[in-house]
Amino acid sequence: MIADIITIVRDNWLLLLVGQYPNGPLGGIAATLILSVLSIALAFPVSVLLALARLSKAPLLYWPATAVVFIARGVPLLMLILWTYFMVPIITGYNVPGFATMLVTLVIYEGAFLSEIVRGGILALGRGQMEAAKALGHGGASAMLYIILPQALFNVLPSILSQFVSAIKETTLGYVINVPELTFAANQINNQLLTKPFQVFFILALIYYVVCWSLTRAATLLERRIVTKRSGLSGAPLALTATAATVEP
Amino acid sequence: MTQSQPAQAGAPMITFSNVQKRYGAVPALIDINAEVARGEVVVVCGPSGSGKSTLIRTVNRLEEIQAGSIQFDGQEVHGSLRGKQLNRLRSRIGFVFQSFNLFPHLSALDNVMLSPIKINGASREAARATAMRLLDRVGLSNKIQSFPAQLSGGQQQRVAIARALAMEPPAMLFDEPTSALDPEMVGEVLAVMRSLASEGMTMMCVTHEMGFARDVADRVWFMDAGRILEAATPDEFFRNPQHERAKRFLADLRH
Repeated sequence: MIADIITIVRDNWLLLLVGQYPNGPLGGIAATLILSVLSIALAFPVSVLLALARLSKAPLLYWPATAVVFIARGVPLLMLILWTYFMVPIITGYNVPGFATMLVTLVIYEGAFLSEIVRGGILALGRGQMEAAKALGHGGASAMLYIILPQALFNVLPSILSQFVSAIKETTLGYVINVPELTFAANQINNQLLTKPFQVFFILALIYYVVCWSLTRAATLLERRIVTKRSGLSGAPLALTATAATVEP
Repeated sequence: MTQSQPAQAGAPMITFSNVQKRYGAVPALIDINAEVARGEVVVVCGPSGSGKSTLIRTVNRLEEIQAGSIQFDGQEVHGSLRGKQLNRLRSRIGFVFQSFNLFPHLSALDNVMLSPIKINGASREAARATAMRLLDRVGLSNKIQSFPAQLSGGQQQRVAIARALAMEPPAMLFDEPTSALDPEMVGEVLAVMRSLASEGMTMMCVTHEMGFARDVADRVWFMDAGRILEAATPDEFFRNPQHERAKRFLADLRH
């Protein structure tokens, strides 16, 4: 059993790492990480805009943003992926590669979840910061940019990292639209060997666990540092947001 | 600069005319007619819930009013004022909060420097020089690099005063500046306020510090249930309050 696993890893480590690259598309862990990093990096600005729109009093900002967040949170990710995959070519007439489809879907989905985290971070600051900013003469944009967002985003960093861990796990769904990520690579190996599914998928589970556990651990450490750094001031809301952030791998 | 038409020297700094405010059906301010003259120090006192904080917060429009008008330095605060003009006006009204509201992600120095740079377009060097001078003035020149979490309540409130002064406001409003402080820190904040008053700063202070009112105030406004019941010199007010409610208030304070 252990010997099998070692053999499989030895024979297929390159496929697990980068897929068929450079002879084919980039895949494996590399694709999984690139997909999840890109999705969170792009979802982050989207989420800040969504959060600000959801906090806005202007109905033209509030309602569309709220609809996006509720729809994205209210349907399964797989359904969203299939919709994008099949609908975008019909609407635009262009065939969109699986990787791009997956990335766009993840950005919308992660953006919606992150926006609620960001919104919570802003609300947790309390009224006093915004009032102080206004009293000094800052407009809404200036107050957000220099006073509210720097604090709120810093405080929700652990939650953002947790969401990144979720994104890594969600990239597995790319498998259904043939995105050559890590799960796809593992399945290719399994299809070649045919007789060793347990060993192959054990390796897959182990890789995901190690990656996600490390990041969750990093989130916990980060959270502790932030709580320590901010302790001594009105720390209660900060501590609350930070605690809510921990997600099990 | 362009918008602040320097009102005539004799005109009041703050004028309340027939100000009415309600929270839903509950009246918070009723028929407020009062003035704060230039260079005057007004202390607003009264039992809790009497509308003192609401009143002071209407001056820079942290609270809206339903009727009447408030003028600051000759400029209408409520009514049609919006956006940039409102921000410009607010930047000229120094405001100190009960809960300090320092920006916790910035050092004491940066707290004081931020708004002159971002709002007035001051250079970093000029803003820094002003901030150093003001922090020195409130006795915190050795704490400029400290973050708010590393400062005591009294120190935080003094930074907050320096932060407000950095915008060079012609008047300062204090909303219970010492109520959140431990007793031993009240003195250091009041000392800063006394020195401001002695330099001729126009001040409107909501406070329970009757010693401060007696020594520093030019006039005391006594509020109850949303009305200004008395506006008198501290001498008259403390020696010979006119209203029954004011007498009871002062008697309760002595206990």
